[in-house]
Amino acid sequence: MGAPCHDKNTSELCWRRRVKSEYMRLRQLKRFRRADEVKSMFNSNRQRILERTDILNAEWKTRRIQPVHIMTSVMCVCVWSCLLQCTVDSGFSEFSKQVIPLKTLNAVASVPVMYSWSPLQQNFMVEDETVLHNIPYMGDEILDQDGTFIEELIKNYDGKVHGDRECGFINDEIFVELVGALTQYSDNDDEDDDEEEQEFKLEKMELCENIFLSCLRSNCVCVCEIRYKELTEPQLPGALPPECTPNMDGPNARSVQREQSLHSFHTLFCRRCFKYDCFLHPFHATPNTYKRKNMENLVDSKPCGDECYMYLDGLVREYPDGMATERSKTPSKRPVSRRRGRPIGNSTYTRAPAKHHTQSYAHTNHCLLCNPEGNSRCQTPVKLKLTCDPQVVDWSGAEASLFRVLIGTYYDNYCAIARLIGTKTCRQVYEFRVKESSIIARAPAEDEDTPPRKKKRKHRLWATHCRKIQLKKDGSSNHVYNYQPCDHPRQPCDSSCPCVTAQNFCEKFCQCSSECQNRFPGCRCKAQCNTKQCPCYLAVRECDPDLCLTCGAAEHWDSKNVSCKNCSIQRGAKKHLLLAPSDVAGWGIFIKEPVQKNEFISEYCGEIISQDEADRRGKVYDKYMCSFLFNLNNDFVVDATRKGNKIRFANHSVHPNCYAKVMMVNGDHRIGIFAKRTIQTGEELFFDYRYSQADALKYVGIERESEMP
Amino acid sequence: MFVSSAWMHHLQHSGKVMSGTSCKANGAVYPASTTVMTTVKKPKMEQIQADHELFLQAFEKPTQIYRFLRTRNLIAVSKYYIHNIHIYIMYRSFRKKTFKVDDMLLRVEKMKGEQESHSLSSHLQLTFTGFFHKDEKPSQNSENEQGSVSLEVLLVKVCHKKRKDVSCPVKQVPTGKKQVPLNPDCSKQTKPGSLPSLLVSSNEFEPSNSHMVKSYSLLFRVLRTGRRGMNGLVNGEANENIDVTEVPSRKKRSSTHREDGETTETFVAQMTVFDKNRRLQLLDGEYEVSMQGMEDCPVSKKRATWETILDGKRLPPFETFSQGPTLQFTLRWTGDASDKSTAPVAKPLATRNSDGSSPMESRPSTLKSAPLAVKASVSTDIQMKKEQILCEPRQKLRIFYQFLYNNNTRQQTEARDDLHCPWCTLNCRKLYSLLKHLKQSHSRFIFNYVPHPKGARIDVSINECYDGSYVGNPQDIHSQPGFAFSRNGPVKRTAVTHVLVCRPKRTKPSLSEFLESEDGELEQQRTYVSGHNRLYFHSDSCMPLRPQEMDVDSEDERDPEWLREKTATQLEEFTDVNEGEKEVMKLWNLHVMKHGFIADNQMNQASMQFVEKCGAYIARRNLCRNFLLHLVSMHDFNLVSVATIDRAMSRLRHIQEELPDAGADDQADRALMEGACNGTAIACSSGGGGGTKHGKRTKSSVTD
Repeated sequence: MGAPCHDKNTSELCWRRRVKSEYMRLRQLKRFRRADEVKSMFNSNRQRILERTDILNAEWKTRRIQPVHIMTSVMCVCVWSCLLQCTVDSGFSEFSKQVIPLKTLNAVASVPVMYSWSPLQQNFMVEDETVLHNIPYMGDEILDQDGTFIEELIKNYDGKVHGDRECGFINDEIFVELVGALTQYSDNDDEDDDEEEQEFKLEKMELCENIFLSCLRSNCVCVCEIRYKELTEPQLPGALPPECTPNMDGPNARSVQREQSLHSFHTLFCRRCFKYDCFLHPFHATPNTYKRKNMENLVDSKPCGDECYMYLDGLVREYPDGMATERSKTPSKRPVSRRRGRPIGNSTYTRAPAKHHTQSYAHTNHCLLCNPEGNSRCQTPVKLKLTCDPQVVDWSGAEASLFRVLIGTYYDNYCAIARLIGTKTCRQVYEFRVKESSIIARAPAEDEDTPPRKKKRKHRLWATHCRKIQLKKDGSSNHVYNYQPCDHPRQPCDSSCPCVTAQNFCEKFCQCSSECQNRFPGCRCKAQCNTKQCPCYLAVRECDPDLCLTCGAAEHWDSKNVSCKNCSIQRGAKKHLLLAPSDVAGWGIFIKEPVQKNEFISEYCGEIISQDEADRRGKVYDKYMCSFLFNLNNDFVVDATRKGNKIRFANHSVHPNCYAKVMMVNGDHRIGIFAKRTIQTGEELFFDYRYSQADALKYVGIERESEMP
Repeated sequence: MFVSSAWMHHLQHSGKVMSGTSCKANGAVYPASTTVMTTVKKPKMEQIQADHELFLQAFEKPTQIYRFLRTRNLIAVSKYYIHNIHIYIMYRSFRKKTFKVDDMLLRVEKMKGEQESHSLSSHLQLTFTGFFHKDEKPSQNSENEQGSVSLEVLLVKVCHKKRKDVSCPVKQVPTGKKQVPLNPDCSKQTKPGSLPSLLVSSNEFEPSNSHMVKSYSLLFRVLRTGRRGMNGLVNGEANENIDVTEVPSRKKRSSTHREDGETTETFVAQMTVFDKNRRLQLLDGEYEVSMQGMEDCPVSKKRATWETILDGKRLPPFETFSQGPTLQFTLRWTGDASDKSTAPVAKPLATRNSDGSSPMESRPSTLKSAPLAVKASVSTDIQMKKEQILCEPRQKLRIFYQFLYNNNTRQQTEARDDLHCPWCTLNCRKLYSLLKHLKQSHSRFIFNYVPHPKGARIDVSINECYDGSYVGNPQDIHSQPGFAFSRNGPVKRTAVTHVLVCRPKRTKPSLSEFLESEDGELEQQRTYVSGHNRLYFHSDSCMPLRPQEMDVDSEDERDPEWLREKTATQLEEFTDVNEGEKEVMKLWNLHVMKHGFIADNQMNQASMQFVEKCGAYIARRNLCRNFLLHLVSMHDFNLVSVATIDRAMSRLRHIQEELPDAGADDQADRALMEGACNGTAIACSSGGGGGTKHGKRTKSSVTD
């Protein structure tokens, strides 16, 4: 940009002014817009409340019970009540006196203070708050007494408070708008011809960047340019983000690879909660998780219809034999890369590399297919050749994608695939398969992720096994760490395995083999699993319905009568609790029906927060003299302040009638509240707040020692 | 020196809540024995004060509360007490085999009727034994003129105050005059017929026309005339072995009479027959009334209280009886003037059987038999054996309340002669009932029964475990506060089950249950009443829980609304997940949340359930392929089998075919989905890490 020096200076000054004024204007505009947003949001919320009240009122009317009254604002000049009348006297002659009979309402006893909270029946993990969301108000006297408290609190959050004005900063939105506005100036001021336009714009941009540079000392010019391009480019209409595959049921469905079609389902599914994007487990599936492990493959032995592929070239006769021989055959050397096409450990999924990758190994596959028949694991290439003329059919993008998805599941069962696609016959599928053969993987062999335990171990006595595991478990420290499924292919769960180092058992969610030595074996009780005889009970675990198959934990899903008494938390078999002002302090929780000693009462639910977050929140709670924090393990704390269930109202006592126990429930630590003694109807529940998880395990350990001869 | 006379007295004076009338202790309160554990012969005043402070600290508040409650209940309705009495008194009848509710009512009515008829349809017969005044030597010769005094009996009717009256109008009806022997010899057996007697017709006790009569009382006026000899005083001093301290006082008083030898001395006494609640105060029995010397107009101040004042000092009530002047007489209620023995013999404690709120007007009078009974019990108590403790001592008891305070290191004892509850003055009539009542109704204290040679000792200490929880009828508290007004017509009421008759397994009533137990003491100190004796609230709205809502655990659903909404919005936030996927994921999440699946092996079943539930919706919204993707994904996670995919999909096909007007709907939905798809073309605000900045997330940011 070789502009003359003088010229540059004046224009720079001029630009500087423009930039400044535009910037201020935009900021103000934004503030106004924000205010409007807040206003409209408030109004819409108001509207929702009114609607909700109307619904409630209507409901209550049908119930023939007094409706909810909304307070209407009272505007009266003076109200004086005589015996049974209320008179409104305006003082002006033109308004007549209004008289209304006086109604006295009975005094209603006030209830203790309750801060609002959201009901929850399962823990909910939340991220650390990096910004102080609100400055807590706890009365003037506290602030007067301890002025440093708030300061310290803000310091905990590195001085960041929610709603701070981002003055001096510029975000993407403003940046784009600013450049847009400035471009307008350039258009108006200098009527340059189109060719120079672009260059000029860049020049102006450079100028404004210079100004920014001087003002903000942050970005450099080229970065800004790139950023601008980045920001303006995706604003083309109709463009989808690169990771998003079009809806398969929609009209824009494209023909994509299997893993692409399933990518959303695979990544968002929580294997532990069975939900998509669950509230509890932020760590989602690694590719190994959704790798198929069981080798079931139901192949219809009979042709599915007239159009079945089996009628092509006498497949009917040969197929079963072929299957059998194929199965027994080798887990031959597979191509280096996996079917999933994603390099392991690469966490970001980008489309282009994946495609490239797939193609590359498609080539290798192709080469493999050229190998002599003996080496191939699938139907011989001979079979794939078509003897009669292939029908010419159109495969839509969705059908093609679906085919690729299903072939990864059903492999050679074309009948099933055709049935599921629905719009294509079996034969057409087969023909498509032949066409596609180059890129389709075949049934994976059983691959050895984790070497199974050695054979000789297998027939060890169950009890000794349990005991050994148990002893290992409570050997040293009281620290209990959070469980996270391990995933280290081709390596046994040894000292490098995260489960072993955290002194946790491997769970069914781990990627190690089910024969892994660190796995908890489950119990084989036929009783109620409420004594130390049960290895699960002994290990402070609830029975796993996928491991403990004899005790009843895996039965009677609908009824409350489960023979196993050690699966109450997971089943949510809580007792009916009632809320009332406590006899001790504030609110209390009362039990509706009597319970026996050691019976499960409720799970203590809440937000799961990190220990650091708990420290920060705890400072505020301590000031309020009201804390719902409960140590879960070394990594996490349950906080029932904002979200929780009714048991959060149980008060502390040194002579409690309940006790808390942190249990491992299907891979999660959860807090169960149990009856310490027989509790009568209507009794208030108390437990000892001091009794933390660490103590619980220590207690178990001591008892064990005294048990042992 | 007395440390604390009546403890009740102290307590009631320090309290402000109590009304004056109610807190008058009705039983004879003995200010007798005050033992302090750290006994000092002559404790200094400060020590006493401090000790007294401690005592008050411990017992003042609960006593005030119970007194207040009693007064309030008296004012409001006495039903509660009647109810209580029935429980205590009718206890045995509950155990009868042929028990009927009607029976109980009948019996109660009969009892009441008996009482009333007995008291109203009869004459009051007074037979005077003699007038005793210890100033005089007992008259040696009965024929002497000096040997008798003239007695006038008046029936005083105190009427209700009318508006204009300054004080209550009083009517005095003379009933007769008699000559009564002065200081007759008790040892001499006199024929009952020979003694002077008076009859008062019961008609007199019926309400008169002009005024509503508030209370009836008998006024005894003894006139002693013609005393000449002054020597009696000197002789009397020598004869009687009275405390030396008493002598000068009598001397003084007698000296006033000595001024002129010819004057008449007047002694008066008043006894209430019916109190203002029309309760009979005088039952059959022998009475000894202490008389009051009166110089002039004896009945001038009707409402002045009677106090025994000797030389400006208050005498304990019983002192007067030892020295007189007293009037002894036998009182009988007879149906007929001639019939003597039909009326039941008065039991000593039955005097105040009504319900214990009798005022103290008749304080100077006491039953003659009372001290005798105590004596008798003393003699029998000596041989009392262990097993006898367990059964109710038959005879009249003196009950010692021993108050333990200051960590049970200090104690004070008060004795009472009756079985009235000292706090609410309920007459329990039996020791067992009294103990039961104390234990159940006054749970702020701990009561322990200790057998005592003279009757019973009850150790009273403060119940530290008292939690103040409501111990009344839960239904009372469950009635809705604030629901009384502006109902829309009739309101559904709670179905309440009242147990009319129940026969719980009861142990035989035995005093042993009140003995202090070593084990399970904590258990005992807990309140007796269990159950839902409080008002519950909804945990979400803090609204009172209505009784009909008790049975539903409304706030403990597995998928509360906010959570359902949250999961939907959370999925909606993803910018790189397409509409079809989101829709299926949301449906599935809601399904899982609703049913709370916990095991892998539930998944096949769950999937089939899902098809049944949402199949129609999936088909209508044209999500079949996305659903298939979901199933395949589940299969990839080893959660469902291939067979389940097949079955689920064929079921879905089936549902799809059954859909009414599938084609049109399909078209509409397709259009809808298209619109939605185009709507998804949201600009991805920024690539990479800033994904969450505007509440938008990408699935790649989820993968850790």
